[in-house]
Amino acid sequence: MIKPELLAPAGDFERLKIALLYGADAVYIGGTFNLRANADNFSISEIERGVNYAHSLDKKVYVTVNIAMHNKELSDIVDYLKSLDKIGVDAIIASDPAIIKLAKENTDLVIHLSTQASTLNKEAAKFWKSEGVSRIVLARECNMEDILDIKKNVDIELEVFVHGAMCASYSGRCVLSNFLTARDSNRGGCSQICRWDFDLMEDDEYLKGEKPFTFCTKDLSLIKYIPELVDMGVDSLKVEGRMRSAYYIATIIKTYRKVIDEYWNNMGSYEYNLKYEQVLRRCANRDSVPQFFDGNFGKNVQYYNGRMEVTNQDFLGTVLGYEDSLIKLQQRNYFKKGDLVTFFGPNDEFDVVINEIYDEDMNEINIVRHPKQIVYIKSDKEVTPNYMMKKAISTIDK
Amino acid sequence: MKLVAIIKDFKQANDLKDLVDAFILPIKDYSINTDSNFSLEDVLEFKNLGKEIFLSMNKNIHDSELDNLKEILINVEKIGVNGILFYDIAFIQLKRELGLKTDLVWSQEHLVTNYETINYWNGKGARYAYLSSELTREEIDVIVSNSKSKLFMNVFGYIPMFTSRRHLVNNYLEYFDLKDSSKNKTLYKEGKRYPIMDSTYGTTVYSDYILNVLDEDLSSIDYLVFNSHLINDDDFKEILYNYKNSIIDYKFPYEHGFLYKKVVYKVKKND
Repeated sequence: MIKPELLAPAGDFERLKIALLYGADAVYIGGTFNLRANADNFSISEIERGVNYAHSLDKKVYVTVNIAMHNKELSDIVDYLKSLDKIGVDAIIASDPAIIKLAKENTDLVIHLSTQASTLNKEAAKFWKSEGVSRIVLARECNMEDILDIKKNVDIELEVFVHGAMCASYSGRCVLSNFLTARDSNRGGCSQICRWDFDLMEDDEYLKGEKPFTFCTKDLSLIKYIPELVDMGVDSLKVEGRMRSAYYIATIIKTYRKVIDEYWNNMGSYEYNLKYEQVLRRCANRDSVPQFFDGNFGKNVQYYNGRMEVTNQDFLGTVLGYEDSLIKLQQRNYFKKGDLVTFFGPNDEFDVVINEIYDEDMNEINIVRHPKQIVYIKSDKEVTPNYMMKKAISTIDK
Repeated sequence: MKLVAIIKDFKQANDLKDLVDAFILPIKDYSINTDSNFSLEDVLEFKNLGKEIFLSMNKNIHDSELDNLKEILINVEKIGVNGILFYDIAFIQLKRELGLKTDLVWSQEHLVTNYETINYWNGKGARYAYLSSELTREEIDVIVSNSKSKLFMNVFGYIPMFTSRRHLVNNYLEYFDLKDSSKNKTLYKEGKRYPIMDSTYGTTVYSDYILNVLDEDLSSIDYLVFNSHLINDDDFKEILYNYKNSIIDYKFPYEHGFLYKKVVYKVKKND
């Protein structure tokens, strides 16, 4: 049995760094020709910086090149693939077979098949193996039995989404964005029409529930199925969210890292800890369910009340440094003297009651209310610049 | 240039047989986005009409469906048809494994968008490709000039724009305890109505308009597809009759979809 890779999204270099430091074995990022055209995508030099950083930690970087090409993209794709090859990315994630073919003909790039290809069965998996693909990112509609059967019958690496937002459609089969907003979803322009409200009508009558119709799905979480995924021999466990914050990445990756390690190191006596679900739920502000994995994809996997991102203010700040028993912190949400907070880093976390706060001129203050305000907090416990500060869970429970 | 109809039943096919060169028959359990579907016994009956026959098997294939699919493909081979429209890549692999001679039509709805990929699938056994409806006229012309495959193109009918494994309508009705009277359903937004349908295999949402590009010069396209889904039989026949006889038909307005519509995908400049 091979310990599965934990694969994290990274929208920029800072998030790449956070993901790797908080426990990811590899990150996936977008450059050109990827399905997050409106994210802060990486330039070639930024990808090179990320690759060098990841390799210095003995970790990997995969680059998504997962658009469905139109004719005009054909002229630039080969040069781009050659650049990725030259700077040593560990794999590309592609779905358009023309990209796979061109990568094989012109580079030595390792190729992972994107979930956009909607691979749901072992015959399709066999085909892609024969085409030189080394890993398949399975369709999110696969259930546990599908994954197991594919793994048993095809000698190819399998990557499975374990956490994050879901498309309401089969990947690649939604062009709502093209029709309603003239933005091409299969080239990275998705405008998330699935989160809009619609009226459902039957002939000329409204079919009105208490809330309007929406396609919106709850998030995916397979945190409680980590033992099953490890036992099945899944090679990579993937977290969605290249547009998510560093705080989100740090929290989700750290939590999955813990669960994977706890199971891997203690298979005989492993016990699932419900506390992890609470941590994940607080972080995303959205409900999460196993979606298709357990075969139950009925009414409970959807939202019926429109947008559900109820903002919480759990994330309080990012640590910038530590000197003379003072933590230098950049504020993200309101906090004040007397609050019980949690500092967490890649390998530990601890609670602190805030007794002393100073502004940048070292004047003592009681409240920190300005976004991105730089303050100093007294703490005898040392932290490093990659730590973050959040509300202590015990205070949230109250 | 041949005219093809996606049809609802044998009566309709019989009624249209002098107007079209080929039929697309949705196959039971393996087809989505159509009003009805047919068994292989039905296919035999349609063959008697003396037209080219293509089978639509355009759903995503789940692992548990493979055994039955193999059986069907072997039987299709015995019956003999002109081609199978497929979405799932399992068809390419099964054609190879089972040594099937039946031609395949690469029909991945919204992904048939460039000639290089069309030629790739041609090399893997799909000698036909069914163009995406999100292409511009200019893109289509470039594909026509560079493609090794014979091309299908939607020229009349509603266009599917969303397909989910989930039963979104049924879920909504169930959640809010609403009664389903099995009438046609639409999603309404800002003055537009989008047909939406649940089936055993999930939910599909269609364009708010009926694509109608029959005023275009379509002579370079091998197969022009007229889709009867959600269209009244008499109207559908009239459209085909008029097109076949070069009569300008004003019953349905021309609607060019994306042929001359600029679509963007990057709205924000990255740093």
